[in-house]
Amino acid sequence: MEIEEIKGTFKPELIPKETGGDLDDYEDALHVLMKFMGSMSSALEQVSGRGANAIVYQAGKRMGHESAKMMEKTENLEQALDEMGDVLGHEFYFEKWKPSGQSSYTTQEGDQVVIKLLFMDCVVRQTLRRTGLPQKGPLCYLLYGYMVGAVEEVMDIKGKIDIDHVGPNACLKTLTIKWSGK
Amino acid sequence: MVNIVIDEDACVGCGSCVEDCPNDVYEMDETKNKTKVVKLDDCMACLSCHEICPAQAMEHQDIHVAKRLYIDRKVNYALERII
Repeated sequence: MEIEEIKGTFKPELIPKETGGDLDDYEDALHVLMKFMGSMSSALEQVSGRGANAIVYQAGKRMGHESAKMMEKTENLEQALDEMGDVLGHEFYFEKWKPSGQSSYTTQEGDQVVIKLLFMDCVVRQTLRRTGLPQKGPLCYLLYGYMVGAVEEVMDIKGKIDIDHVGPNACLKTLTIKWSGK
Repeated sequence: MVNIVIDEDACVGCGSCVEDCPNDVYEMDETKNKTKVVKLDDCMACLSCHEICPAQAMEHQDIHVAKRLYIDRKVNYALERII
């Protein structure tokens, strides 16, 4: 395939109007990044073993704290999750989920509140599919860290996320908030 | 509202979907030796059952289909021309 070189004039401008690429260019860039991420994830696991999960988790948590700094602080978990849904956007589209026999999304277990989240669209899952890596690996911890970091920032309390189930179309995770963990 | 259609002609009765579903949506119909849907309301459309079914005997209707940006459209286009 011959690569066509595009020549033009570049002027200093405050807000660039052109990105210099079309949908195919975006797709190529996305796929290259997916391959990079997959390669980094498997290399990290090879070098650090199970420690890879902790490294990626910490990176995600930092991102979560950064993203949620602009969000309104609240003590209402469901309101916090709605706000986080807006911040995470369509690339990490999630919804609250409950089994049919349960009346509300949240359940109280001692000083903890538990809520199940169903992640439907996930860039991490797509990256794993692109690179042929299994789910529940280190890269998944990026999203767990991200969610925990964002919850901690918005609610100012400690939280954790566990994986219940991973699937090709959606993943179910349990978010646990500890009220006494400030 | 999710709806699951099982193609009974295709289902081989292996029970893989029954074992794999985290919410026990399926059960084996012992008389027909086919899978049947028993807890439709608990289906979260993770589609693990689709992935594990060797006969591709099920169809999920009216669900959120996750984006598949990992698919290389150029490869798909090339395959379409061959197949």
